[in-house]
Amino acid sequence: MEALIRPEFGLTFWTITCFVLLVLVLSKTAWKPLMHAVEERERAIKHDRHSAETARAEAEKLKADLEERMKSFKAELNARAEEARQAARKETDLLLAEARRAAAVIVETATKEIETQKAEAARGLREKVAELSVLAAERILLKQIDHRANTELAARYLGELEKERPEMRLENN
Amino acid sequence: MGLKEILEHHVVDHVWTWAALGPLRLPFSKHLLMMGIASLILLVVFPLIIRSRSAALAPFRAMIEIIVLFLRDEVVVPNMGHKGAAYLGYFSTLFFFILIMNLIGLVPFGATATGNLAVTAGLALTTFALINFSGIKEQGFFAYFAHMVPKGIPGWLYLPMFVIELLGLFIKTAALCIRLFANMIAGHIVILVFISFIFIFGSFGVAVGLGVAPVSVGLVLFTLLLELLVAFLQAYVFAMLTAIFTGAAMHPH
Repeated sequence: MEALIRPEFGLTFWTITCFVLLVLVLSKTAWKPLMHAVEERERAIKHDRHSAETARAEAEKLKADLEERMKSFKAELNARAEEARQAARKETDLLLAEARRAAAVIVETATKEIETQKAEAARGLREKVAELSVLAAERILLKQIDHRANTELAARYLGELEKERPEMRLENN
Repeated sequence: MGLKEILEHHVVDHVWTWAALGPLRLPFSKHLLMMGIASLILLVVFPLIIRSRSAALAPFRAMIEIIVLFLRDEVVVPNMGHKGAAYLGYFSTLFFFILIMNLIGLVPFGATATGNLAVTAGLALTTFALINFSGIKEQGFFAYFAHMVPKGIPGWLYLPMFVIELLGLFIKTAALCIRLFANMIAGHIVILVFISFIFIFGSFGVAVGLGVAPVSVGLVLFTLLLELLVAFLQAYVFAMLTAIFTGAAMHPH
């Protein structure tokens, strides 16, 4: 069993040689490209992250900008709408006043017209009434006349009339 | 054939032939072959996976990447600071080298190279070298040794503390070496013991052996899963402790 713990120093020499050569060769052929790739990737990740962060900040700025513009647009829109509403109200008032005035004028003319026509109609009516009554009186008189009695009557009436209305006296004319 | 022979057959290295390099006798053995396979996987498969852009290999690439990033963010940088990131290649290689050698030990016909004291000693020695190298590089030669002793101790304690700290450096390294070795070998021994139970009870009678077999196999499977966990865990622990020791050498306060 002592073979188990009796080191063969030739093998130690082999081990050291082997290992040192491996370190020298692998550092060039394996670990260097590996670490190169890893560092490349780490750098790429860092770069990507950085650019993503920049893009995000930019987007946020853009968003804030847009929101601000939107707000100002909205404010302007509101102002314009208010303005338009006021203008419309003013216009309506104006139109209403105009209409009222026009209506008043129309009513006035119509009233005047009616007055005139009424006056005219009254005049016409009175003339007709006068004429009719004269004609009617004429008929009645024509039927009832008894020359003598009527002459007396007429004389009497005339006398009365002359008494009543002295200015109608024939003699005085 | 006793348990001893079986154990030695499965756990101990088999040297096939020797080569001489100056005063050193270099063995060509089973564990060296396993280490070679692990190195080959690291040298060929890993760069292939990492450099390929095919979607089929993407999950494997992600696995390697997750582990390397874990080593960077949880092991190297917290213990060694941002200057330590330069050592990431060392720690990634260390982790995967140990991990693959551990995992090869769980494959049929494989052997655990990290279950060999000589191999873990080699790894621990590289850690020892890294600790001192980074400490001296970071602080300067004299400042490094001067800062080994904690600040604010009485003057007469300085020398004994220096000796203790210096010894501590070696003990840390030795502990690293033995921890990995023991962890990797323990699971194998337990598995062999559970399998041997079948034959031990079988010697009382065939029926007893057959009765024990399902229990033994169940326990072996459980131990195998535990070994899978330990394979990852010990690779992590080795890398983590190396990072802690190196970080302490770089920043003494």
